Amino acid sequence: MPEQASQDRRGRRGNAVKWAVPVAAVALVAGAIGAGPVIAAVQGDPVLPGRTAEQLLADAAQATKSGLKPMSGTVMQTASFGLPGLPQVPGMGGTSPAALLAGSHELKVWYGGENQVRLALPGRMSESNLIVNGDQAWLWESDANKATRIKVDGQALHGGAGEAPKALPTATTPQQLAQELLRETGADTVVSVTNTEKVADRAAYQLVLAPKDASSLVREVRLALDGETFIPLRIQVYAKSAAEPAFEVGFTSVTFTPPAEDNFTFTPPAGAKVVEQRLLDTPAAERGKVAQEKAEGLKDRARTIGDGWTTVMELPLSEQDLKGQAPKARGDGPAGQDANAIVDALLKSAKPVSGTWGSGRVIQTKLFSALLTDDGRLLVGAVTPEKLTEAAGQR
Amino acid sequence: MGAAGGGGPVAPARAVGATRAWARLLGSEMSLTFRRPRNLAMLVVLALVPVLVGIALRTFGGPDEGGGPAIFAQVTGNGLFLTFAALSLLVQLLLPVSVAVVAGESIAGETGAGTLRYLLVAPAGRTRLLAVKYANVVVFCLASVTVVALSALLAGLALFPAGPITLLSGGTVPLSEGVLRIGLVVLYVAAGMAALAAVSMALSTLTEVAIGAIAGTVGLVIVAQLLGTLPQLSALQPYLLTHWWNGFDGVLRDPMATDEMGQGLLAFAAYVVIFGSIAWARFTSRDITG
Repeated sequence: MPEQASQDRRGRRGNAVKWAVPVAAVALVAGAIGAGPVIAAVQGDPVLPGRTAEQLLADAAQATKSGLKPMSGTVMQTASFGLPGLPQVPGMGGTSPAALLAGSHELKVWYGGENQVRLALPGRMSESNLIVNGDQAWLWESDANKATRIKVDGQALHGGAGEAPKALPTATTPQQLAQELLRETGADTVVSVTNTEKVADRAAYQLVLAPKDASSLVREVRLALDGETFIPLRIQVYAKSAAEPAFEVGFTSVTFTPPAEDNFTFTPPAGAKVVEQRLLDTPAAERGKVAQEKAEGLKDRARTIGDGWTTVMELPLSEQDLKGQAPKARGDGPAGQDANAIVDALLKSAKPVSGTWGSGRVIQTKLFSALLTDDGRLLVGAVTPEKLTEAAGQR
Repeated sequence: MGAAGGGGPVAPARAVGATRAWARLLGSEMSLTFRRPRNLAMLVVLALVPVLVGIALRTFGGPDEGGGPAIFAQVTGNGLFLTFAALSLLVQLLLPVSVAVVAGESIAGETGAGTLRYLLVAPAGRTRLLAVKYANVVVFCLASVTVVALSALLAGLALFPAGPITLLSGGTVPLSEGVLRIGLVVLYVAAGMAALAAVSMALSTLTEVAIGAIAGTVGLVIVAQLLGTLPQLSALQPYLLTHWWNGFDGVLRDPMATDEMGQGLLAFAAYVVIFGSIAWARFTSRDITG
């Protein structure tokens, strides 16, 4: 029956063609997933008018001087330092310090003016909010159903604001500031500018700072500035060993329109715990003060070796200090436990090294190395372990 | 296929007739699904769980600070939160299982029982038959999610105080808007279940044993959830169907965060397109012997 056979064959061929539909569907979906980069590639990079690093820095300084524009957006922070043996913490919703060392974190930002800021940290079925409106500030934690009213001391706030400009170089015009900054960094840094970056769907300039010294673990630091407003949109730190940034904070979406007023009004919901706190009494401020005092104490005993990108910090610190201090200083809270777990995990993964200066253990991550010597010194820097051991010898 | 469809529509009123035939086919499928004691029993179980959760929370109080998901603590303060708590609980396994049972059964069950051949004799065409069966399953998805939400809503209102809803962001919306937001959650979760139903239906066309398709679907759900919990595989998460089912907490934020739900809906659509086309290719090309 030749006719029957040919019909069968035709039917089979038709059936084979039908399977092309699911294949096409998969291709369609895969294409849609990959479409973003492709469309961006087809459209070509946005090209902004060319600017030198100096002009760009001057523009940025000018923009900061005249105050930020009202805006709102979503900020994503991603860290992958490559800490060896770090206990894994799921990325979403973690608020412990350890959680911020790995994974991605999303933060929503509303900025209505100098005195109107709202930050929201969304988690699974929870959200933390910090709302600042004029001289009122609220911290809302949905997990604990708790609203904390933070009384801002007007004086303290203004005092803090007044101090900030002093820390900056003593230039008076943005142009001078830019020149001064470039002169300072120029010695050990290669500065370049690209005008084809795109961040959060906005054309942006990118300032690339790359260390000249080969022993630095940092390949480059990239700072993207909005092409229109010159507001920093993203900062990325690239390590020498990886193609992906080791640390990144940037907008994933941003709009420069004033956010709705009700973003900044907060009334504690019925049934919520309401706590009043003065800004200076908050545990965080207290901890900050303690830490600051401690840091100042350390500063006297600490010394730096080298300068620029390859500065190595030397602190008198032994293993006992590391292990003993963490729980006592922070109580038995989860933060203390986390810190301890990290110290333990890090020490376990450290590699023993020795030299004419003695012996110790070294830890290398993508971005920095730390050397804990047996004679009680801790050397830290964004440099290779070889550079660290070299520095350890410079007594 | 012969001219076996006796009461089929005649040529002049073809379009109207086709719609009517479609509706009639869907109607008969639905009456089969919703009259099956097993399916009704599943819906009753789904309706009972929120009530039990509500009674447990009423009797023993909410979880202490820090213990258990925060959403359960909210329930004791406002009954409306029982719907969100119940849905986020049931969307993990019980809802997917009941959807898998109905969808996995849809083709393989007929093949296994030998009734598919008779269905195909009618001049409906395999494509239309598949579409009708999928539409039927989607209706079941919507029905089961609605049953959970309604039962949780009623239980919550009966057992706990109700009033304006406190959003996760700390804002407050009136009760009526809260109910409206629950409606959005129901639609979102039903869409997620409809995506699973497409997977289950594709499996159903590949086997002649209904239990194989059902077990396969449930197995996939469990594997996907397992993969979703491994932090090392976090890059895989956006591609897992299960990752998006719980993503409805955006309705409880202020302003409503629709971005994650939008992405979830796109993921659901992608699953429906891929597995729907697999089901279609398989169903329209294979030999029906059963």
